[in-house]
Amino acid sequence: MNKVLLIFISSLFILQITGCNNGKGNSQKAIASIDSSSAKVDYLALQEKAMKFVPETGKFGGQIVLSTVSDPKSFNPITSTETSTSEFTQYMYEGLIRINGVTLMPEANISDKWEVSGDGLIFTFHIRDNVLWSDSTRFSAYDVEFTFNDLIYNKAITPNSSRDIFTMEGKKIAVKALDSSHVEFRLPFTYAPFLRVLSQEILPKHKYSALVKKGSFSTSLGIQTPPDQMVGTGPFMLESYISSQKVIFKRNPLYWKTDSQGNKLPYLDKIVYTVVTDQNAELLQFKRGEVDYLTAKGEDFPGLKKDEPTSNYSVFRLGPASGSNFLFFNMNNRADPKSKKPYVDSIKLSWFTNTKFRQAIAYALDKDNMINIVMNGLGYPQWSPMAPSEGYFFNSKVTEYPYNIEKAKQILAAEGFIDTNGDGIIEDKGGNPVEFSFVTNSGNNTRVKIAEIIRKDIESLGIKVHFQQIEFNSLIQKIDHPPYEWEAILLGLTGGPEPHSGRNVWHSSGTLHMWSPVQTSAATPWEASIDSIYDAGVKELDTLKRKVLYDRWQQIVSDEVPLIYTVLPEKILCIANKFGNLNPSLNGGLLHNLEYIYVK
Amino acid sequence: MIFFKDNRAVQKFFHHPLVMPGLITLCFLYTCSIFAEFVAPYNYDNGNREISYQPPSKIHFIHNGKFSLQPFVYSYSFKFNSNYERIYIEDKSRPYSLSLFTKGDKVKLWHIIPIQRHLFGINDSSQKCRLYLFGADPVGRDLFSRIIYGSRVSLSVGLIGVFITSILGFLIGGISGYYGGKTDWLLMRFSECFMLVPSFFLMLALRSAFPIDISSTEVYLLIIVILSLIGWAGFARVIRGMVLSIGKRDFVTAAKALGATDLRIIIIHILPQTVSYAIVSITLSIPGYILGESMLSFIGLGIQDPQASWGNLLGVAMNVADIQYHPWILMPGVFILLSVMAFNFIGDGLRDALDPNR
Amino acid sequence: MRDELIRRLLVSIPQLLLISFVTFLFIDLAPGDILAKYRFDPRISKETIQQIEQKYHFDKPILVQYGHWLVRLAHFDLGYSFSREANVTAVIVERLFNTFILALFSIIITWLIAIPLGIYAAVRQYSWGDRIMTAISYLGMSLPGFFIALILMYVIYISKDMPIISLLPIGGMISANYESLGFFGKIGDRAAHMVLPVTVLTITALAGLQRISRGNMLEELRKQYIVTARAKGLPENRIIYGHALRNAINPLITLFGFEFSTLLSGAALLEIIINWPGLGSLMLSAVRSQDTFLVMGSMLMGGGMLILGNFVSDILLIIVDPRVRKG
Repeated sequence: MNKVLLIFISSLFILQITGCNNGKGNSQKAIASIDSSSAKVDYLALQEKAMKFVPETGKFGGQIVLSTVSDPKSFNPITSTETSTSEFTQYMYEGLIRINGVTLMPEANISDKWEVSGDGLIFTFHIRDNVLWSDSTRFSAYDVEFTFNDLIYNKAITPNSSRDIFTMEGKKIAVKALDSSHVEFRLPFTYAPFLRVLSQEILPKHKYSALVKKGSFSTSLGIQTPPDQMVGTGPFMLESYISSQKVIFKRNPLYWKTDSQGNKLPYLDKIVYTVVTDQNAELLQFKRGEVDYLTAKGEDFPGLKKDEPTSNYSVFRLGPASGSNFLFFNMNNRADPKSKKPYVDSIKLSWFTNTKFRQAIAYALDKDNMINIVMNGLGYPQWSPMAPSEGYFFNSKVTEYPYNIEKAKQILAAEGFIDTNGDGIIEDKGGNPVEFSFVTNSGNNTRVKIAEIIRKDIESLGIKVHFQQIEFNSLIQKIDHPPYEWEAILLGLTGGPEPHSGRNVWHSSGTLHMWSPVQTSAATPWEASIDSIYDAGVKELDTLKRKVLYDRWQQIVSDEVPLIYTVLPEKILCIANKFGNLNPSLNGGLLHNLEYIYVK
Repeated sequence: MIFFKDNRAVQKFFHHPLVMPGLITLCFLYTCSIFAEFVAPYNYDNGNREISYQPPSKIHFIHNGKFSLQPFVYSYSFKFNSNYERIYIEDKSRPYSLSLFTKGDKVKLWHIIPIQRHLFGINDSSQKCRLYLFGADPVGRDLFSRIIYGSRVSLSVGLIGVFITSILGFLIGGISGYYGGKTDWLLMRFSECFMLVPSFFLMLALRSAFPIDISSTEVYLLIIVILSLIGWAGFARVIRGMVLSIGKRDFVTAAKALGATDLRIIIIHILPQTVSYAIVSITLSIPGYILGESMLSFIGLGIQDPQASWGNLLGVAMNVADIQYHPWILMPGVFILLSVMAFNFIGDGLRDALDPNR
Repeated sequence: MRDELIRRLLVSIPQLLLISFVTFLFIDLAPGDILAKYRFDPRISKETIQQIEQKYHFDKPILVQYGHWLVRLAHFDLGYSFSREANVTAVIVERLFNTFILALFSIIITWLIAIPLGIYAAVRQYSWGDRIMTAISYLGMSLPGFFIALILMYVIYISKDMPIISLLPIGGMISANYESLGFFGKIGDRAAHMVLPVTVLTITALAGLQRISRGNMLEELRKQYIVTARAKGLPENRIIYGHALRNAINPLITLFGFEFSTLLSGAALLEIIINWPGLGSLMLSAVRSQDTFLVMGSMLMGGGMLILGNFVSDILLIIVDPRVRKG
């Protein structure tokens, strides 16, 4: 009666058999095998096509069901700091300007034309005639004035992320409504990204000024607020919110935008968000048609693509997505003011600040394996701090570090890093064995897998690496606060089309200048160069000149590698076939023109 | 020990139909885990990234039409097809034979004794071809080897944890039951605190108190401490109940009269009477520890990569895509199942054997 | 008995507070920072962060912070959750009910199945049916709940062609078109979504309960009074259901509270995999983001639910067992 042993042995058997089936079955299907490098998507061609797209007249009605991982925590675009909030408020509120979904450049929205003074300091915006709030009140320049002066610049409203964006070196922008359809902005100095940040959501004065006076605006527009209290100009309005389950938007019949025939957009009746915290459930729900749209991971691609011909959805591969992961070392050369103890051990600091050391590490990272293992072959190496999907300012011509262990070893040897005593670990010129701790945050599966590969790659150079995962919050604390107790970290940042939004990272005085934050003056010549690029770039109004500056910034970063970039995942989007007017593009994805999308 | 004197109990125990399979399974698993470095063909961190997710190696006996007594495998490589599915191809040109006591990775048995021979494997130091009994994980490491190394954590957590729990339980339950009155009331109310919150919640809360960036050894000890803290209260309460009734018996009064100290009475006279219940209870609670550790590691708060534990091996695999394309990654779950079932079998056997009612 | 009950209920309050203090201490002593994600956001300035710190007394010593927490607790205010940007009480209350009904339905169904199965196994001890059930019980007790959940999800997924199973939802609590369903449609929708989690929880709980009820029945059936009853000529059914069962159930009711605790724990991990918006998934994300007030609040609520469960089981015991009533 050795039932147990029987089960054990039979499961081994079964495995061998399934192993058989996997091997045989797959090789019998005559599907061409491909060399992964040749199957990259021509996203530039896609982009060209997307820019020429003209939407057709659609049919009214129907809904689209989307899924979201994060539950909305607030519907207040001014006070909320969660990125999840803007996913939802983007349908309800609009700004004077909007960012074009394909080109990622600012274009007219509520404001249809504007004038700029010769010195670039005074902007006068004309407001479109036919814009109404969702409660039928007319939109006017006084609403803009209210949003800036009474909401954004109001010190009593906290937290307030917009205030930090619109405070330029401590100074405010003077916002004044000249009449009901003209509003004037006076800047303290020239600010190149100004138009872009005017995608700032505008809120109605008539509805919220009373709340501001009472002091209750900060807690309004939350998840408990009844939807009819949320008044905006956007294409959709909030219909209902069921906590952790559904967020439902309905069509705003008073939306100002029309299609080429003069019909009021949007075409869809509803947008339904279903909250799915687990990615497995999300995938399964999409395949069963309970959800209409999916952002897929590389490892899900085979299952989706295989069933595509017999199903009612389509899979789009769009090129390299954003979502960087980079490795960086602690180059902080300062010491604790009280104990005088340097933050980073001086021996290790000498390695980390040695550019050739970092370049050798860059050559040692096997990006192809990262793409194959972590992204199932659907990914791209990253060399520049900007991603191709971030648009105009991306510089594709920077220094690259293709995987080459021998070259990495040579560079290290030339810098005096040799294994003198045959123990398998290299030592520096002073005879110190090279070892350091390497950390990343737990909870991000992709990042942890990439970190594992990096660890092994660096160890193959003869360097000892102590790897750990830490809770995200703890990690940030280490980076932000003395005594800056870390040596090497793998982390990621979200980027954006506007390079200046990363100023806190790239300027030496920045709080997010992670390898050595809040410097009083640049520690190295190349950091000084980047500082002057950032100082000049924000004030330079000529876009072509800005491009030259920021191209140079990306070139410097790829040469000095303070952040060693790794790989970017492929942007894989899937959508049900029943929708028309889809315009897939790398920069915008599939839903950037949601007001034009209709059910066929 | 009292129950050893009773031959009938021992006979009953071994005659229970489920006890033998349970014991054999556990012996097998614990032996493997003690000699993990020897039994596992590869080091737990040794992987060939070029063949990630390789399905279990097919073992052949016929090469080019010729039968061979010694089993062998071929080396695999993979490519992506147009759907980005992985296609694995065997290189049938060269067979790599399997044998026993092969030379493999240089490892240290119990971190002390350097060995290079392993129980079985492929006789090829270049490791161009690998034997993947249960397939490969995403970075090409042998799942079988990792499960064997992982058994060390998962199986020992139960034993050590239960040891601590029983000490705590005996002590507190013994004192509480013996002294009675206010001491008893206080101790029992204190123990109830730990039973008031559902175990998973308490486990999470206690775990969150400690940094996640502590070394694997420290995490391991921490898990044991947390699991023991959650488990001791129930055990203590029952011991207390038993001590309460035993303490009223004559031989205890006699011992007191003879001048024995309280501690001596509790430890030497009373507690041994509770041993038969204790052994059953302990054996049946070990599965809880194994499952508790696997839950913690599964959600990423326990043992972390590259160290292996059955829980964290499963945690990596929890993906519908994985089950569809690489089902062998679920093997650690089978091992959890087997060890937990084995403990349950033995515990039931013990209970039936020691039950005074039969 | 009633006095005993009330006393126990009153004592549980300081007990809960004690464990909440211990947890608070632990979490506070841990390195890591609630406001980390605010600090990491390039758009937010230092002043904004300082304002938040002052508002919640993060700069004061631990005892003072706990004191403030207690004061708020007296006003039923469990504090503010940073990771969710809402009041803790509001967040928890939404989810409390969801976890509770999962555990409740699971325990009811488990009882409805386990006890008859236990009786059957006891009455026909060592029959094939008994042996199969024993085997399945062992299986159910030994598999981790999260493992069973994923396998079931996968089974539902690949059974596209099978009639009933393919209609079962895989996750979530309500469907996309919930609002447009009629009253019965809504109930049906919620019930369909509950099939998967309740099945998993029941499988894990069933095994243990079936074996215990079988064991208890076996013990009862061996007792002298049963022999007497048979000798008196009572019909077998009456003996089993009228007499043996009533006594065998007692220990099961005492276990009710413990069972409930296990189910609450089991539900917690399950909730994350299948996206059931309950207290368990809330607590895990709270712990991960070190949202102190939310962790404390969730723990308290978990304890509260358990106290409620224990209370119900005590009352049940009073109803069922007349000996307890008199004592």
